Amino acid sequence: MKKNTGKKPQARFQSKESVLFFIFIGIFVLMCVLSPQTFLTWRNLQSMAFQLPELGIFALAMMLVIVSGGMNLSITFTAALASIVGGVVLSTMTAAGMGPTITIVAGLATFVLIGFLCGALNGVIVADIGIAPMLATLGTSTLFEGVCLNITKGGAISGFPDAFLWFGNASVLGIPFPMIVFVAVVVASYFLLERSPFGFKTYMIGCSPTVTEYSGINVKKTLRIVYIISGILCAIAGVLMSSRYNSAKESYGSSYMLQSISAAVLGGTDIAGGYGKVVGTVLAVMIIQVISSGLNIFGINRFITTVVMGAILILVLTINYISSGRKASSK
Amino acid sequence: MKVPQRLKQSREFGIFLILLAVCIIVTVAAPSFFSIENLFDILKGNVVLAIMAIGMLPVILTGGIDVSVGSMVAAITIIVGNFLMKGSDNILLAFVVGCLSGAFLGLINGLLIAKLKIPPIVATLGMMSIISGISLYYTNGNWITGLPKNFIDFGRTTLGSFYQQGDEMIGLPVQLVFLVFVAVLSWFILRHTLVGRGIYAIGGNRVSAERVGYSVDNITVFLYAYEGFVVGLAGAVHTSIMRQVDPNAFNGFEMQVISAVVLGGASTLGGYGSVIGTLIGVALFAVINNGLILMHIPTFWQKIVVGIVLIASISFDVTQKKYWESHNTKVDIEEA
Amino acid sequence: MNPNAFLQIHHVSKTFPGVKALQDIDLEVQRGEIHALIGENGAGKSTLIKILSGVYQPDPGAEIVIEGKKCNQLTPLVALKKGIVVIYQDFSLFPNESVAENIAITTDIEKGTKFLSWKKIRSSAKSALERLGVELDLDAPLGSLSVAKQQLVAIARALTFDAKLLIMDEPTSALSKSEVEQLFAIMRNLRDSGISILFVSHKLDELMAISDRFTVLRDGKYLGTFNGDELDNDILISLMVGRKIEYTIYPKRDCRGAGKVLELKDFNKSGNFKDVSFHLYKGEILGITGLVGAGRTEVLKAIYGINPQDSGQLYLEGNKITVRSAEDAVRHGIAYMPENRLSEGLVLRKTMAENISVTVVDKLATRSGLVDRNRQSELVTKWIQELNIKPPYPDMLASKLSGGNQQRVVLAKWLASNPKVLLVDEPTNGIDVGAKTEIHKLLRDLAESGISIILVSSELPEILAIADRILVMRRGRIVGEFNGENATQEEIMNKAILGGKQPVKA
Repeated sequence: MKKNTGKKPQARFQSKESVLFFIFIGIFVLMCVLSPQTFLTWRNLQSMAFQLPELGIFALAMMLVIVSGGMNLSITFTAALASIVGGVVLSTMTAAGMGPTITIVAGLATFVLIGFLCGALNGVIVADIGIAPMLATLGTSTLFEGVCLNITKGGAISGFPDAFLWFGNASVLGIPFPMIVFVAVVVASYFLLERSPFGFKTYMIGCSPTVTEYSGINVKKTLRIVYIISGILCAIAGVLMSSRYNSAKESYGSSYMLQSISAAVLGGTDIAGGYGKVVGTVLAVMIIQVISSGLNIFGINRFITTVVMGAILILVLTINYISSGRKASSK
Repeated sequence: MKVPQRLKQSREFGIFLILLAVCIIVTVAAPSFFSIENLFDILKGNVVLAIMAIGMLPVILTGGIDVSVGSMVAAITIIVGNFLMKGSDNILLAFVVGCLSGAFLGLINGLLIAKLKIPPIVATLGMMSIISGISLYYTNGNWITGLPKNFIDFGRTTLGSFYQQGDEMIGLPVQLVFLVFVAVLSWFILRHTLVGRGIYAIGGNRVSAERVGYSVDNITVFLYAYEGFVVGLAGAVHTSIMRQVDPNAFNGFEMQVISAVVLGGASTLGGYGSVIGTLIGVALFAVINNGLILMHIPTFWQKIVVGIVLIASISFDVTQKKYWESHNTKVDIEEA
Repeated sequence: MNPNAFLQIHHVSKTFPGVKALQDIDLEVQRGEIHALIGENGAGKSTLIKILSGVYQPDPGAEIVIEGKKCNQLTPLVALKKGIVVIYQDFSLFPNESVAENIAITTDIEKGTKFLSWKKIRSSAKSALERLGVELDLDAPLGSLSVAKQQLVAIARALTFDAKLLIMDEPTSALSKSEVEQLFAIMRNLRDSGISILFVSHKLDELMAISDRFTVLRDGKYLGTFNGDELDNDILISLMVGRKIEYTIYPKRDCRGAGKVLELKDFNKSGNFKDVSFHLYKGEILGITGLVGAGRTEVLKAIYGINPQDSGQLYLEGNKITVRSAEDAVRHGIAYMPENRLSEGLVLRKTMAENISVTVVDKLATRSGLVDRNRQSELVTKWIQELNIKPPYPDMLASKLSGGNQQRVVLAKWLASNPKVLLVDEPTNGIDVGAKTEIHKLLRDLAESGISIILVSSELPEILAIADRILVMRRGRIVGEFNGENATQEEIMNKAILGGKQPVKA
């Protein structure tokens, strides 16, 4: 009997992804049944398709760091800072009467640059100084928030060129542009994390930084890159967000942090690091988006939605704990 | 790990010296700092932070973290406020209600972390969402005003007479009593009970703590519940100071609490820290903030300061540990 | 039953999957005696200690008698209650807490006292220290004390458990000569007060000085218990090592003609090693042996860059190179198989294929930057076949493999990187004899094919079987060099233990 080849978790995960897919279908159908007039409308589907990419990109930014064995609690404020500084560039250049193309190019470059710098700071603190990622990013998130407030003085940055609105609101052949961006990010993330040497090293570091280091891999360099990529992803999400709101404020996107962790864990990413599949995270994002939109449509108070999201996180981890206990005891 | 004795003595002492230095700098930059009025303001303005920091200390001592304290204390103020408005105006009862509610919330945290093995950051992040969601839903963001007069009067009470304000002589705010109570209670638990020593042991070396016989899970549940209890007290105290309830008053406050504890010398790696150190850390934090205000530096800088302080303090702690570990003698070398 | 005996065990065996760690051991420890437990690495000493302290259960058929009463189930708690206390090498103490607390808090934990009385704790600690005849500052944080003093604290704590049998594992490994003297004086006092001490050590000169009786283990078997006057160094050494070498002995080669591939000049690292200079010829297996704590692993780690030396030069094929990280080392073609295979050599949660690919993952990329899965799988399959890894499933988790196969995976990962120099640290630790010989063959074949190997091993038969040249280290220095062809176990052990200070008896 050829049982127990100790087969790679991949086999188990494949079924896990199907489970997620069915959960998604299930919840989607449930929402349709509960409120067919409002949920299954073109308008709502469009709205979800515009919002989901933001959560999705944040979730991937978070997942990458969790896979490396850490956690990035500064994702929302990285995006906010990128949006605010980018917003300042956009509004200043627009006010100065410069052409939209050059303004937008400069603006986008600024977004990405800030995302890069925030990520680099996180990377250095975690990899070179050696502070635990959770604490490091907790500190930098407060720092970034402070810088945001310093620039905006509590208000919002506006005055973007009209063309900028295109990113977050336009559709190409009926598909919302953010969704196109999201798909591109998903594909890039998949290849980067699951198919490239860099991603391979990231997984190994997430399991055991010591063994990976002893195997001749430059762990510090890899970690720095992980946080930089995470930061850039946040900046991209920031572009979509600030385009959708047509303004930039430090509080935008604050609910995404918790939801990103939930999405990553629900999607099968091991909170301790070393495991996670992009497709799992994407499916989890879809589930969370459907729940979030559904609750909204039913007129549930947004505060209760917050409660639900927190409960989902705890519930997912509880289920993980119970099922891992069952696996261990059946050995 | 070889840690020179002097170092332990000097950590709290060193931070105290830094406190003195900062006080001097601030006084030079803004002489109004060193007036009795200002100092009393600082005291009253930070007594809640101090109480919460003392509550957070045991959590940090075991190498854990709790980011739900901000939402917790806000929820307690709502509970206490509602109790006073709709229940009874008995002050003692109000405080008891606050403490028990806090202990209950803390207990949930403890159970999630100890029994379900959910990492502290994730468990408390989830709880933060749940608690703040419920709080905001219940109040809809609205303030609670018009608290009973006897409670308000209680909150205004002062002890002793130190300076003139209008035509009254003002003394130390009564809330200080609660701070002293919590400080002494925590000091006693940490120093003179088995649970307290267990907290240090878990933070120092979890495996050794288990080997030596401490029941790690039970101690963990207790310390989060205790933290909740203290946070509950802080909530009641805050309500007595502000005399009204603003559900959004504590957004982001957890960062200040954590920073103050770390600034007071507690190691985020666990196993080191003290009540005295935490109090000094709070004082240092308060003085820095007050200095920023007096020097007319915009309040947005406060968050930047908090972030930098947190990262700098932990960097110091981590770098020190690395240094001592790399200087370990592994081989007794033969003299030629 | 001997009325003088505190502990008597008969027919104690312990089998692990694939390995028989102990076979039919007898041991008797009398009241008030200092009893030494001697044997090489892998002789079974630590397994025996774990059985005595209740951590492991012996195979059925064992008989354990403590103070005249048979003991059916010896668990850690039962062992403690009966007065058997082990002092581990890491002491299990708390560096941030005071000496008094470290010594005496365990009684409160056991009783579950709610409110502590520091007065009681201090006086309890004080009396424990008095029994030892030692004075220490009760309030000093433990971490501020020297290792020697920390050990005294650990012993004092054992006394508060009302220890009747103290088991000490390599107690003098981190102590200076004078500290050892102090420890021995304390041990004698304890013995005279009726406490039994069983201790494990490699340091024969110290053992001779302090022990009343000696029990020798070899390859999991009990050789005998001897009185102090029946033994001297040479008899002990021959008892420890003398047995037929079961391994295939390979013909040794003189590789000087092939040239030096690696050379160390004046390597120094405070607290680790001193004045270490040697060279490695191309295609040879250079064995480095010595007692535990001699500094051999530290030298390897310095060469490999993970714990670089304070001073000294390293030459690879005649060129001076600087290695300050594992990445540097690998780039130069140096590979390292660590002693702790499970925590430093393999990622247990990952598959065989992933573990093998980790060293060369960058080289496996196609032009588009992605990992070429075909080449990866070819590489993995090649090494699984060449090294005969069983079972040959690349997607099997490393944690599910046997020790021997795990080691092969580690070797595969390094061979995949095409190294010039392979540093190997205790490669056959915890592996059964059959697998050991296969690994020996693998190493010899590698050497023949041109890879130069430095082999650190505490197992003399292994070194004698495959090493072309042998260096002996002792207390951080190189104290001897032998030709692999005609060295004997006794000579090597002698150097390792005594450093060549005493003449070898003919």
